[in-house]
Amino acid sequence: MKLLSAAGGLAIGKWPHAGGFAQQLPVDKEVEPFTGPGPNPHWNSVGPYVSEPQKAPLILLTDRPVQLETPRSYFQSAFTPNDAFYVRWHLSDIPNRVDLPEWRLRIEGSVNKPQTLSLSDLVEKFKPVSVTAVNQCSGNSRSRFQPRVAGGQWGNGAMGNAMWTGVLLRELLDAAGVKEGSVQAQFQGLETGPGPKGSGSNVFLKSLELSDSALQEAVVAYLMNGEPLPMLNGFPVRLVVPGYFATYWMKCLTWIRVLSTPDENFWMKTGYRVPDTPRGNTTPEEMKAGGAKTVPISRMPVRSFLISPDGSSKIPAGMNVTLRGIAFSGYGKIVKVEISDDGAKTWRAAQLGEDHGAYSFRTWEARWTPKIPGSYTLEVRATDEKGKVQPDEPVWNPGGYLWNKIEKQEVVVGKVS
Amino acid sequence: MRKRLRVLVPAAGLMLTAAGTALFAQFQSGSYGSTKTSSLEQTVHPQLSRDGNFSVAPFPSFVPELAEGEGRAETQGFCAACHSTRYITMQPPLPAATWDAEVNKMIKTFGAPIPDVSAKKIISYLQEHYTPENRKQ
Repeated sequence: MKLLSAAGGLAIGKWPHAGGFAQQLPVDKEVEPFTGPGPNPHWNSVGPYVSEPQKAPLILLTDRPVQLETPRSYFQSAFTPNDAFYVRWHLSDIPNRVDLPEWRLRIEGSVNKPQTLSLSDLVEKFKPVSVTAVNQCSGNSRSRFQPRVAGGQWGNGAMGNAMWTGVLLRELLDAAGVKEGSVQAQFQGLETGPGPKGSGSNVFLKSLELSDSALQEAVVAYLMNGEPLPMLNGFPVRLVVPGYFATYWMKCLTWIRVLSTPDENFWMKTGYRVPDTPRGNTTPEEMKAGGAKTVPISRMPVRSFLISPDGSSKIPAGMNVTLRGIAFSGYGKIVKVEISDDGAKTWRAAQLGEDHGAYSFRTWEARWTPKIPGSYTLEVRATDEKGKVQPDEPVWNPGGYLWNKIEKQEVVVGKVS
Repeated sequence: MRKRLRVLVPAAGLMLTAAGTALFAQFQSGSYGSTKTSSLEQTVHPQLSRDGNFSVAPFPSFVPELAEGEGRAETQGFCAACHSTRYITMQPPLPAATWDAEVNKMIKTFGAPIPDVSAKKIISYLQEHYTPENRKQ
């Protein structure tokens, strides 16, 4: 009879008719077509879901070249499925087809023995290695910037984690015999654009210093989570640079060029550079006055995310909820993830999940029992093995890079009785 | 559950004529909204052969509707030569000076062959429809 007393709370004459019931439910609104000039308030970017070859429905940023964002719910696990892995290309002419009997990986330039390797050469003639590593776009979360900056307006889903299997880059360089006095290795894939030959709109080129520790750990990968790479993620092989932002992870890698002088191409000299300041910070005012000295972007600062609950539905008061998410750092292992529900006054440690290696997503979870109905802001922050903790301050630079501010999620707790 | 309701509802002295949607004191069910939100067409896989060509279907185009106005044709024509005009609609509303700088970057840095008169039209079109003061779509 308790149910009836609830019904008794409604005036009889105001019972809605059948057709009007939908109005009574909290109906999801279609997300707005763009955000700004304020920050994007959503976890993901605001594009529609689209279906691209070899891909689950992902969030569209642009269709030519293809840029797709991974929806939040895929980050509940440590490994991002290949078909849900985000996609980011720079130039419009990206491969629809690779003819494997013809395709060769070339190692050339300042080497003693230039190499021309087929996919089966890579698989059979070199020792396979596997590394689990996060691939994150330099501009992940760019839509949080204030003031907003031009560029791909990513939410948080321009990232993914996979186990990459292939050949150590340094083994390939050793096979080619790097000449003394060489300084960098340059990488080129199969994407091209209609711009003037050699310009940034014609060819996408990235380089790493031969002395860079990241180059020592880099892998030329032909498997992603144990499967061939989707075309949109770089079939047949891509460069994997654990700890570094994805700009260096050349897709459809086809040329490795050893250079005797530093790479001066657009994508090294002008693009993907960050102010040489703490956290890569600068201000619009400083930019107007000429800007800070810049360096090529490199390692990913520590980040963590709350994936569930996502704020889309209420939590019953007094019920035990498991908060779940991921954390990672390009500087090494995650040693601590903490959560707060009281405006960062107190923090408590979350339980870390399985360790898949220093450059992997580390899952975490924490029990949470909100006793009192109301709105709560859940915050999550991670600490890496170098002792770096996520700050609560935003970052700003004109490229929209290096965002790693503490993530916050509003959740609503409702009455149970 | 249903059986219990038959007993409970008359006891409350209420007449419920729920067509399609059922509303009871303790729950509501059967409400369906518009199918427009989040709908997505399925695709069929292409025919495959056993040769060494590894291919995928053409990448689909999703051409956005640009705001109507003077300069739209030039914007579509010149900008879409290298990239989808979603590069425009994806942006947040940007200040007029930023649009000027973006178009000039395309010409000077990326070598876009846009005649001066068209570049001016494109810049004023973007400034007319895609700034914080005037962006609508």
